[in-house]
Amino acid sequence: MSSLDTHAPPGMGQRPARIGALLQTVALYAVLSLVALLVLLPLLFALSLALQGPTLSPTLLPDFSRLDWSSFREVFREEPNLTRWIVNSFVVALAVTLGQLVTSALAAFALATMSFPAKVVFFFVFLGTLMIPWESTIIPNYLAITRLGWKDSYQGLIVPFLASGFGIFLLRQYFLTIPRDLYEAAVLDGCGPARYLWSILLPLSRPALATLAVYTFLNTWNQYYWPLLIVDSPEWRTTQIGITAFRSSEVTIYNLQMASTIIVMLPTLILLVLGQRQLVRGLTAGALKG
Amino acid sequence: MSKQAWSNEPAQPGEMLAMPTAARQAAARPPRQWWEFGRALLYMSPALLLLLAFTYIPFLRSIWLSFFVTNPQGDTVRFNDVRYYTRILNLDGSGRTEYLRSILTTVYFSLLVVPLGIVFALALALLATLRVRAIAVFRTIFTSSIAISVASASVIWALIYSPNTRATQWLIDLLHLNANSLLQHPATALFAVAFMTTWTSLGFNFIVTLAGLQAIPHDIYESARIDGANNWALFRYITLPLLTPTLLFLILISTIQSFQAFTQFNVLIGNEGPANATDVFVFAIFTAFWKDNRYGFASAMSVVLFLILFVLTFIQYRLLDRRVHYQ
Repeated sequence: MSSLDTHAPPGMGQRPARIGALLQTVALYAVLSLVALLVLLPLLFALSLALQGPTLSPTLLPDFSRLDWSSFREVFREEPNLTRWIVNSFVVALAVTLGQLVTSALAAFALATMSFPAKVVFFFVFLGTLMIPWESTIIPNYLAITRLGWKDSYQGLIVPFLASGFGIFLLRQYFLTIPRDLYEAAVLDGCGPARYLWSILLPLSRPALATLAVYTFLNTWNQYYWPLLIVDSPEWRTTQIGITAFRSSEVTIYNLQMASTIIVMLPTLILLVLGQRQLVRGLTAGALKG
Repeated sequence: MSKQAWSNEPAQPGEMLAMPTAARQAAARPPRQWWEFGRALLYMSPALLLLLAFTYIPFLRSIWLSFFVTNPQGDTVRFNDVRYYTRILNLDGSGRTEYLRSILTTVYFSLLVVPLGIVFALALALLATLRVRAIAVFRTIFTSSIAISVASASVIWALIYSPNTRATQWLIDLLHLNANSLLQHPATALFAVAFMTTWTSLGFNFIVTLAGLQAIPHDIYESARIDGANNWALFRYITLPLLTPTLLFLILISTIQSFQAFTQFNVLIGNEGPANATDVFVFAIFTAFWKDNRYGFASAMSVVLFLILFVLTFIQYRLLDRRVHYQ
């Protein structure tokens, strides 16, 4: 059951042991594959529906002799805004990621390296934001953004998320692991704090920056509640709002709906495969936020 | 985390006399201290201003708004005392308990999501510790749902539960339900959303549990095995106890997350559900805020939610502190 099962039981002959081990390996792969299939079932179901052509009564499995891949092309023609939604999501997610990296690095640098009065107070001001759930801020934020005339705009989707207490906390913890002597030596050599941050501290902190970047990008790409409030006109939708609106539109064409959902999932799935380690680190640390 | 992290801090003003030259110099030259303060403030100012503008001020404004009747533009019209709070918590003696019931629905939802999530995650994590060559592939598959947004998952599961695809028809027949879809029956709707939620959080729960399993030192198993312990004994007396801090952490995180779940309810159901069966508290806030434009009332609800989550988060931090001491 747990981690040490592939050892052959003692007292067996050499050959039966090898056959036994082989059978055990086959059995293990069979179990793992079955479970993997169950985990992936909803995704396979989505793919199956996407490949069945514009039918109103889809079946669970597609007709494998004539798979209809055209839905992935067709969906861009049927919903001309899809490209725009993808662009919107990329612009917003990249801008928020970059913004959080900058604001978090600056604040974390001050907290981790500089000595100044009332530092503890500032630390807890930043940390305190983790205790405030977005539900408790969203109504005044919505009213403020509306008053600014920022509905249906990139600034409305981006600016409220440019700083994060979590990002500051994560980077501060990492910066603290880098010896302070390095800073003092650099200052003695006439290096200013800004240059130390840019040319020494940040290059040394690449793992933490990557973690924050991957985590923030994923979260922003997948945002739902805020864009739902801020976006009125179809061309300002982000992908998440787009695919759900696609769903509630009058003509439900399953293959196109599933094709658009799969297309929209691709960037984050690719991010998972490429940056799994960073993502996992960010998510487990980010869970602090709740 | 805090105690250790602060150990390399410079001394606080009160301790300065005990400190050697550097601190005494700083005390002798207050202007320099202020200059350092200003410089640090400059570095922190972008984050500080943004967090003030979009977290602290809106939060305080939510509390402010919760004591007022508001107009559709969100301006305060008339002081309302704590009437919204007494209305939500049924302290006004009116006997209208729909908001308390909504909180209760949220609790039911957590009671479904959390145990299901833990059991599935534990099973997957134990499988992922098997020693076979392609285990990395399976781990990636088990993790995959962390890359899938709740909105995408909701669109897919809406079709899984849709009467047109008939994917869950067998379950409806099995349970003899008088409904076209699991989502349309009061007895199954909340469970259907909870099951879908378990799937979306599977990747995260799996990865946390796996990390917890991998942190258990291997030689404990080796020596127990030499003493003749079988697999079940290893799991029951080594794995489970040593995994308890991880599982407790996961239980609290999942509870907090399930209290905040909104997307799946809005996409899969979009209203209070059959016989209000899926009217969780966050969705009730959305209704008051978005559909009814009752900003003051919705703010009071969001403050109540904040208090609930605050208690849960507080317990979580205490627990995390303890977890650090274990290691």
